[in-house]
Amino acid sequence: MCVRYKLLNFLFVLLCTNLVFVLQAFPQDNQSSNSNDALKELKMDRAVMCEEVKDLTPQNPAVVFSIKIGKVSCFTSFDPVPEKTFVYHKWFHRDDLSTTKRLTLQPPRWGTYSSIQLRETDKGPWRVEISDQKGHLLRILRFSITD
Amino acid sequence: MPFLEFIRWQDIIDILLNSYILFRLYVLFRETYVFRVLTGIALLWIIQRIAVFFGLILTSWVMQGILAVVALIIIIVFRNEIRSVLQAKNLRAILWGFPQKSVPTTIQIIVESVKALSKRHIGALIVLPSKENLDDVVQGGIPLRGLISKEMITSIFWGDNPVHDGAIIIDEDRIDKVGVILPLSYKSDLPARYGTRHRAALGLSETTDALVVVVSEETGKVVVAKDSKIMDIPNNAMFTKILQEHVGIHEEENVYQQKEKFKMSIAAIISVFFITGIWFSFSKGLDTLITLEIPVEYTNRNPGFEIVDASVNAVRLNLGGSGALIKSIQPEQIQVKLDLGNAVIGRNVFSITQDSITLPPGIFLRKVIPSVIEVTLDETIKKEIPLQVDWVGELPKGLILSEVEIDPDKIEIIGGKRILENISTLFTEKVHLDNLKGTGTIWANLALTPAALKIAPGSKDKVRIVYVVNPRPK
Repeated sequence: MCVRYKLLNFLFVLLCTNLVFVLQAFPQDNQSSNSNDALKELKMDRAVMCEEVKDLTPQNPAVVFSIKIGKVSCFTSFDPVPEKTFVYHKWFHRDDLSTTKRLTLQPPRWGTYSSIQLRETDKGPWRVEISDQKGHLLRILRFSITD
Repeated sequence: MPFLEFIRWQDIIDILLNSYILFRLYVLFRETYVFRVLTGIALLWIIQRIAVFFGLILTSWVMQGILAVVALIIIIVFRNEIRSVLQAKNLRAILWGFPQKSVPTTIQIIVESVKALSKRHIGALIVLPSKENLDDVVQGGIPLRGLISKEMITSIFWGDNPVHDGAIIIDEDRIDKVGVILPLSYKSDLPARYGTRHRAALGLSETTDALVVVVSEETGKVVVAKDSKIMDIPNNAMFTKILQEHVGIHEEENVYQQKEKFKMSIAAIISVFFITGIWFSFSKGLDTLITLEIPVEYTNRNPGFEIVDASVNAVRLNLGGSGALIKSIQPEQIQVKLDLGNAVIGRNVFSITQDSITLPPGIFLRKVIPSVIEVTLDETIKKEIPLQVDWVGELPKGLILSEVEIDPDKIEIIGGKRILENISTLFTEKVHLDNLKGTGTIWANLALTPAALKIAPGSKDKVRIVYVVNPRPK
């Protein structure tokens, strides 16, 4: 009985020791995984102009929007997002910068959007330049606001 | 004098040149019908101006109508006269020669006739009476009253003519009588070579103040008898001189020449006055002002430079001149040119001076608005620019324009560096959505703004737009 008890104790200690080692080993694996993720680049998998965004899903993507809808949105999603970062949505009416939106991205993937309210004077061709936090241009979306 | 301040040296030349042209027209055409018609036209023009001045509408209208066609009529009706004047004279004669009256005088005809008779040894006896009447002295004779000519005289003294032995009496420019018998001289000291004709000539000269010309049938020599004297005539010049002295035509010739010179001087003065009057009526009379907007032209621009901006595209010129000249101004006659030869990239300021403006003769610049122009030049470069459709209008209800592709999606543009640096997108001309009912393709032109931009050679000026139209999700 005593021998069995000692053996169980030994196995328990061994298990715990093993567990400690395993636990020690796991963080090392996580660190390795994190460093691999850091090597990956931010990648935009979707960029679209839409009438609105519901539940992070762009509604009625298009290239021409009526001023009557009152609002237009630029939806962008990124996968992967290696680390917390920012992207910029620069809204141009014709060739004049109208507004710049700074949007935060969280790893591992993220979808975000910016919108503008439409006024009568906003009719005409527009473009949204999507760039990363270093200013590298990722995509240009062109659309028009009409009657 | 105040009005002389407005006269330029060009105006003096203008007046003198046209006066001379008018004077030459008078000199060339004065003995023709053309000159009379030209005088008539000038009168018509003066009447027309007077009618306009007094507001005689119908008269001025009629005169204007006549004057409008009269130039054509002159050329057609008087083409022969004009041609004869222009063809018969060389350039020198047309430009500054004075045509002399070439109508042969009685004396010239007599001299020529006597020369011909002398050459052929045809005896002749020609009487040129002076103040005294010969009727009581001479005998016989057949009245002729024919206009004198060389042929007539020669034929009278022709050997087979029944009256060839007698004398002829010349009265002014006519042969009054032929076959006249003259009284013979009784002088005994006449040389032996003189025959009956000579004796008859001397006889008449002894009793009257007439001059008698004798052509010897034997020798062909010419002698003249006057005032009881008989003298040999060695040459035509002397003969002419004797005849002129006899009839006193030498003085008449001088008087004639003086009259001609006087006429020419008067004509020259009238020409100058007439043209001066016309010149003043055209260029100075009824001074009128007008303001015209004339586009500015830029010259000598460096081919590598582009005009990207100018403070104005046209300037307003305040011009003055006579009403007639102002009315006849065509905008094409006026030019405003700025020399960009020394211009640099960036802003340049130019003053518009008199030298920059070309005006028709007789029109004067009073003011330029603005007098200074700013021109901005830029370096010309090429740039590839993305294209975007400029949609307008309203898409039919229930449809959504999902996608658009534009071909080509970029285009190469030539323009000023400063302009192109600020252009990121070029747009098409406005494309209407109203007629879009489904997916399709349309073509559109590019809207190049500003207009200084040009599409690079090889690039298309039209783009193809492929669009996708879907039903709007419910």
